[in-house]
Amino acid sequence: MKTNYLHRLTRLHKFQLVLKLGIYFILICISFIYLEPIFKMISMSFMSYKDVIDPSVEWLPKKPSFNNLMVAGTVLDLKTTLVNSIWYSAVLAIGQTIVSAMTGFALSRYTFRFKKIWIMMIILAFIIPIPLLMIPRLMLFISAQNMLGFNLIGTPIPQLVMALFGQGVNSTILVLIFYNFFNLIPYSLDEAAMIDGAGPMKVFTQIALRLSASTVLVIFLFSFVWNWNETYVTGTLVRNSIELLPTKLNMFDSAFASFASAGRGTAQFRINEAYKMSATLISITPLLILYAFVQKQFIQGIENTGITGE
Amino acid sequence: MSRKKTTSYQQRQNKQGYLFMMPWIIGFAIFTAIPFIATIYLSFTEVRQTVIGFEFKWIGLDNYIMAFFQNVEFIPAVLAFLGMIIPYTFVVVILSFILAYLLNRITFLRGLLRTIYFLPVIIMSGPVMYQLLDSNSITNNAESLREFSEIFLVQMIYTYSPQFARILVGIFEQLSIILWFTGIPIILYINGLQKINPSLFEAAQIDSANSWQILWKIVIPIIKPIVLVVTIFTIANIGTFSINPVYDLIRTATENTSGGLGIASTFAWIYSLLVLLIIGAAFLIFRNREKGRRHY
Repeated sequence: MKTNYLHRLTRLHKFQLVLKLGIYFILICISFIYLEPIFKMISMSFMSYKDVIDPSVEWLPKKPSFNNLMVAGTVLDLKTTLVNSIWYSAVLAIGQTIVSAMTGFALSRYTFRFKKIWIMMIILAFIIPIPLLMIPRLMLFISAQNMLGFNLIGTPIPQLVMALFGQGVNSTILVLIFYNFFNLIPYSLDEAAMIDGAGPMKVFTQIALRLSASTVLVIFLFSFVWNWNETYVTGTLVRNSIELLPTKLNMFDSAFASFASAGRGTAQFRINEAYKMSATLISITPLLILYAFVQKQFIQGIENTGITGE
Repeated sequence: MSRKKTTSYQQRQNKQGYLFMMPWIIGFAIFTAIPFIATIYLSFTEVRQTVIGFEFKWIGLDNYIMAFFQNVEFIPAVLAFLGMIIPYTFVVVILSFILAYLLNRITFLRGLLRTIYFLPVIIMSGPVMYQLLDSNSITNNAESLREFSEIFLVQMIYTYSPQFARILVGIFEQLSIILWFTGIPIILYINGLQKINPSLFEAAQIDSANSWQILWKIVIPIIKPIVLVVTIFTIANIGTFSINPVYDLIRTATENTSGGLGIASTFAWIYSLLVLLIIGAAFLIFRNREKGRRHY
């Protein structure tokens, strides 16, 4: 009787072990599917043009070279576009961070009238597709620039204004992250400050923001990344006046054609996969580096949205 | 000072709350609510840009007739979009749940795997996706179609319904691109799974439920509200993602500021109505069941 029981126990353990191994196997295989495009980009970036058309070359190039990356970097005009993209996204991200902190603070700390309706509106703002809003927005800014007498279209101003008024990329998610984080800060801290004579603004800056420095950073980074990757609104409002890395990648084919015709028209300079993939790799590298350092905060940031809690 | 004393607590709450909400509310009104209504109006007009501003001419349903019956690109683009968003959402919602459920059962390597699954959220952008899809279609399309059509199962499905087989092959072809949409849903699911009270599992185990039964009788009913959130999120995410055929049409029409804005807003309005309808449908499907559950 006793041995039978033991026997069963070990069988159960064996089953559990096999199950675990199976889970690991599936998860690791799937993680390769996730990374496959990136691996492909990396492998293609180092291929020479002969390797690209050689059917025997699948992953590892026979003659690795940096040529593709150099050419793609020149076509993308990397020095200017990289700097432009960084400051552009950073400016918008600062704007978004400030306004989403304020909105999150209002929702978390005050019970004002129609609060439920405003929360619904915040969620609705996420669902409405952007193209529906872009045409009147564009007309608004064109009219405004006619009235003001200086250019708005083609400058970062329209997007900065929208970011500062909480209508930037994925603002809803940022507001929800702040809202949930501020909810974790005990209200008694606010009360203590108010008894010592602090006004609402002081409570906001000295208590809420001070205690949520890490959240502020997460929001800033999310906003930075999303603004970096955003091309529809930027393409409509800025067009080509400021050369940004993703926008440039969008028209890589035509940029490459003009580059090739200006230079040597040899077979090497025909557009091919390797150049495109190198350009794509270059454009995501800054984000990959960023992610390598702060990946934990990113994931925690999404966990803190708390939309799963209620 | 004396006036300050007479304001009640609730009035102060109102005033200060709205003080902090003000930027968002102004922005919402100017950049979201008014444009939302304006687009509906614009879709019935012909817009001309003149030196002094914009000129609107009411032309009734002409834009809609143009979009549906005269423009040869619009209907195919919308159909292509529907053929993309519905299977994609389906796959994303289910696969991300499976991945989250499996991730929740392991401890070793979990952080690393989660980091990998989340990575696409950071690097995913319209141009990047465009380049990847483009390179996929050039190098592999002919090959992979042949590869897939050799699989017995696909052939079998093909004889029943060629349409479905094509969608299936499409999903497998672009699996890694579809998977790239699962980053945030996985995190949401994991977060929800971890909030399930462990004593429920114990109780079920004592009643000799196996893990399959636990999955269907405990985990899935509890997680259903999150499925709703994930579904809506995924539809909104794919729907607002700039790699889709309708966007290009809208953009080219928008760039023609001298006369194309009216037709562009018609396109945008039909498109958005579709997205909102799909979201509404998802909402209804999941809400009904949730209501029934709330009785106890």
